[in-house]
Amino acid sequence: MRMQNLVVNFPVATNWSRELGPYIWASRLFVVAIGACLMSSPVPAHGQAVDASPSTTSGVRAQAQLVVGGQSVKNNSKGILSVVGSSLQFDADGKKVAVEASSILDVSTDKDSRQDITGAAHLAAEAIPYGGSRVLSLFSHEVDVLTVEFRDANGAYHGAVFALAKGQAAPFKKQLVALGAKTTAPPAGPAPVNN
Amino acid sequence: MKHHSGTAYAVSLSIVVSCAVLLMVGHLLGQQGSGDSNRAQKLSASSIQIEAPDPGDVILPPEFRIAVYENLILQIEKTGKFQHVYRSGDKDAAGAPDLVTLHTKARSFTQGSQKEREVTTVLGATSLTVNVRITDHTGQPIVDRDIKGKVVLTGGNLGATYDFSKKVAKIVRNNF
Repeated sequence: MRMQNLVVNFPVATNWSRELGPYIWASRLFVVAIGACLMSSPVPAHGQAVDASPSTTSGVRAQAQLVVGGQSVKNNSKGILSVVGSSLQFDADGKKVAVEASSILDVSTDKDSRQDITGAAHLAAEAIPYGGSRVLSLFSHEVDVLTVEFRDANGAYHGAVFALAKGQAAPFKKQLVALGAKTTAPPAGPAPVNN
Repeated sequence: MKHHSGTAYAVSLSIVVSCAVLLMVGHLLGQQGSGDSNRAQKLSASSIQIEAPDPGDVILPPEFRIAVYENLILQIEKTGKFQHVYRSGDKDAAGAPDLVTLHTKARSFTQGSQKEREVTTVLGATSLTVNVRITDHTGQPIVDRDIKGKVVLTGGNLGATYDFSKKVAKIVRNNF
């Protein structure tokens, strides 16, 4: 009985597959097309620097956390930090903070602060166990810290502290200094190339 | 006769003691009263200007300095004691009639470690001592105190600046 059924059903199955063949191919093509779109879309990984769009930005751009000092943006907001035109911008939850590079009184990274310890003090600090050598760091060494001090149009003094993925603060500092921001610890090397 | 004189002595002694106790209580109450009246004499100012922190001789990282300043601005605004809280350099502050100014100068800074705090619970505290001086429009000091901010058990090092600014806000609440 079973064999009979198979013999009887086989042509039916073949006809079914023949009839649906174009649909299956279409669905496969659709899946491949979706996959290609997803692979080519510019969605960044967590903490990864995002390439700037040449039409809107003139320099570096990265995911960051505004630790303190955002006027309209809440402290500890996560967003995108970028240099747009001649200003530093932070976008988070549809709100934006922008600081003109020329109004920046001092731009620094946490690496600059550690350079303040030199000589014997540095050696002594290095000898402290349990990470005690990290004398001048507000945050973990897993992140970079970018600190910006500036005056607004009314002359009022402001400060903002951003936490970025490791190695990402220095390019911002170089770019801002190249755009006219002041700094007490000049960056080493040339500013990053504009996109 | 002897019995009577003994009783009289005991009575007079108890009167003297109770009078002394009453006098002491009265004196203490009087002191408390004058203290309350001092506390009741709060100052009034419609505006305050907060100057940028002076690191002094202390090596204070810029991120700490900014965190102190921005937290201070937030906490003073939260007190609701002033109509305007001006930042350092704000041109609008020049027109404020009864402006008081808050100056901060770092006295000491001890960097701890969040990891150490979490592991040991007794080591790794971060502490920050800052002199806080509030002056009136003539430059006369109203408040001049050293305030310590610290983070002991849990939380990041930034907590020390938050703790400090909360304490300054409390002083402002008590004085204005």
